[in-house]
Amino acid sequence: MRLLIVEDNHELADWLAKALTQAHYTVDAAHDGEEAEHFLELADYAAVVLDLSLPKVDGMTLLKRIRRAGSKVPVIILTANASLDGRVAGLDSGADDYLAKPFEMAELEARLRALIRRGHDLASPEIAVADLVLNSATRQFSLKGEVLSLTPREHSVLEYLMLKAGSTVTKAALSESVFGFDAETDPSAIEIYVHRVRKKLEGGAVQIATLRGLGYMLRAA
Amino acid sequence: MGRSGASLSPVRVLLRLRHSLRAQLLAWVLVTLVGVIGFNLYFGLVLARTTANLVTDNMLLGSARMIAEAVRVDAGGNAEVDIPPAALEIFDTGHGDRVFYQVTTAWGNLVAGYADLQVPARMHQGEDMVFRNLNVRALMLNHPVVGLPPVEAPNSEGGVADGVTVTVAVTRYGQQAMRTQLWLSDFDDQVLLVLVAGVVTVLGLNRGLAPVLRLRDAVRKRRRDQLEPFDEGIVHTELRPLVQALNDYMNRVQKQMGAQRRFVANAAHQLRTPLTLLSTQASFAARETDPARREEALQALIRSTRQVTRLAEQLLTLTRAEPGSRAPRADRVDMADVARQVLEARVEEALRQGIDIGLDADEAAPVIGDGTMLKEMLVNLVDNALRYTPAPGMVTVVVTPLGNEIVLRVEDSGPGIAEAERIQVFERFYRIIGTQAEGSGLGLAIVKEVVDGAGGRVTLGTSDDGGLKVEVRLPRA
Repeated sequence: MRLLIVEDNHELADWLAKALTQAHYTVDAAHDGEEAEHFLELADYAAVVLDLSLPKVDGMTLLKRIRRAGSKVPVIILTANASLDGRVAGLDSGADDYLAKPFEMAELEARLRALIRRGHDLASPEIAVADLVLNSATRQFSLKGEVLSLTPREHSVLEYLMLKAGSTVTKAALSESVFGFDAETDPSAIEIYVHRVRKKLEGGAVQIATLRGLGYMLRAA
Repeated sequence: MGRSGASLSPVRVLLRLRHSLRAQLLAWVLVTLVGVIGFNLYFGLVLARTTANLVTDNMLLGSARMIAEAVRVDAGGNAEVDIPPAALEIFDTGHGDRVFYQVTTAWGNLVAGYADLQVPARMHQGEDMVFRNLNVRALMLNHPVVGLPPVEAPNSEGGVADGVTVTVAVTRYGQQAMRTQLWLSDFDDQVLLVLVAGVVTVLGLNRGLAPVLRLRDAVRKRRRDQLEPFDEGIVHTELRPLVQALNDYMNRVQKQMGAQRRFVANAAHQLRTPLTLLSTQASFAARETDPARREEALQALIRSTRQVTRLAEQLLTLTRAEPGSRAPRADRVDMADVARQVLEARVEEALRQGIDIGLDADEAAPVIGDGTMLKEMLVNLVDNALRYTPAPGMVTVVVTPLGNEIVLRVEDSGPGIAEAERIQVFERFYRIIGTQAEGSGLGLAIVKEVVDGAGGRVTLGTSDDGGLKVEVRLPRA
């Protein structure tokens, strides 16, 4: 699942990205409002972690702009200003959640999971396609009731397909979601991961279908 | 006004009253009134005495005339008198006065009365005298009597006397009573006048002072964080400047407090991001299984901890550099020495960073001030230079006396500071946008506080290498 971190402190942006990658997210980091706007135009993010004090375009302005442009991407605001006014202003500007610095990684991750779940209109934390189940709280997959062991990349591939289950996913979108902007994007690399995931799904009642010219689709077999 | 229960010595009460506007005004009004009244009473007494004397004299005259008119001459030419009771009764005014009289013929024969009654020196005029140890007022009347031939008076000085001489004396109780009564009737009025004046003064003062007291209460009632200006309308026109001055003062206090509040809020704010970084790095390290990546995170965590520590130290230094936060000190400090110490402590680090660090200080450069803070200032300048100068670079500190000043220059070969930003960089927490070196944004604020405190000034310029040149001028000791 792909996240965008917008934080002007390079070091913090860097480490947040590292920590979230550990938690199986694909993370892009922008360091100012303009860069963030650019990223948002190019890619489709599962959620945005937005610091409010940014150079060039500040966080609040950025948030208003992307909402005005019609984007519904879940946004969680990070700010050093923990006052009630700040929180209210942030939420009024279209943020979905609010986290005051300093915070624990565990809390950020929990809030992101909740936001993403809400973004996909999921009342229960479990998404199921036939006998494949994703617990969005633990972000664990299970097949036929048994925990499915996946590498981070495999996890990303399956998660993306799962959240878009029943609709086609282009190879480029899947690739970007898994590797982000920064990674070397060999288009065939994604095929390797899809292949590996397919192997792990063997024996279950789900399949990843390849649709020529369209991409992939996760569906009940 | 007095504090309840406080035992105040009379001296302190007096001292207090001296400072009380009410007591002072009242005292002046009363002193003036009492003076005027004293004067009045004195003249009232004189007047009352004159009046009483005049009345008594008239009564004496009337009495003497009645007696004289009662004198008869018998066939043998001897005068005799039957004293009419009314002549004595007119003195019965209820004060127990005693009346003495003497009737003599022109040649000195006593007709009736007290032979030893002293005769006043002049006719028809009252005179105070002592008779039988009593204070009396006496009056003598000469009256012709039909049948008594005029004779050469044997004891008079060639004057011609005829008829009888009647002398009447009366004790002075009634006269004194009349005098006192006359006087006191005046006195009552005067006392009433003083009382009325006093009450009116107190009332007037209370009314007049009411706005001042309202102001006092308004000031007293305020909580210590209530600093909005007072309404000038609550006092008289004359006192408005006082309220304006008070409002001015509160305005300044409010600004100062605002600056403090902003600083504290800012400081808390500035600590949040580095703390988040610490927390993130720690979380990462905690769940990372790869030893190399875990080690990397731990090293980063140590570096971040150092940064937060430095930020906390700088906040403390800045607080200490503020006026009034430390007892003023007047150490004699050689800035050349200080510069050497500061640079020596950083040589190792500079060499590791690939920065050529140097000192140019040949002469002693004495200044008077807070030694600790002056050193802290230089530490911050050198720290900034090392922080923002990329390798290979150069940092030079020059200390030189110039006239009655000590000039201290720290030059580097870093990116410098654009002219537009050379004022703002002295503001607390100001950081140039896009700067990624791990600065706190407090270094130059500290420098400015210290230099201001030492009576010097600090300016920014461009060094020969195109980097930053910070120049500090301090008064020479």
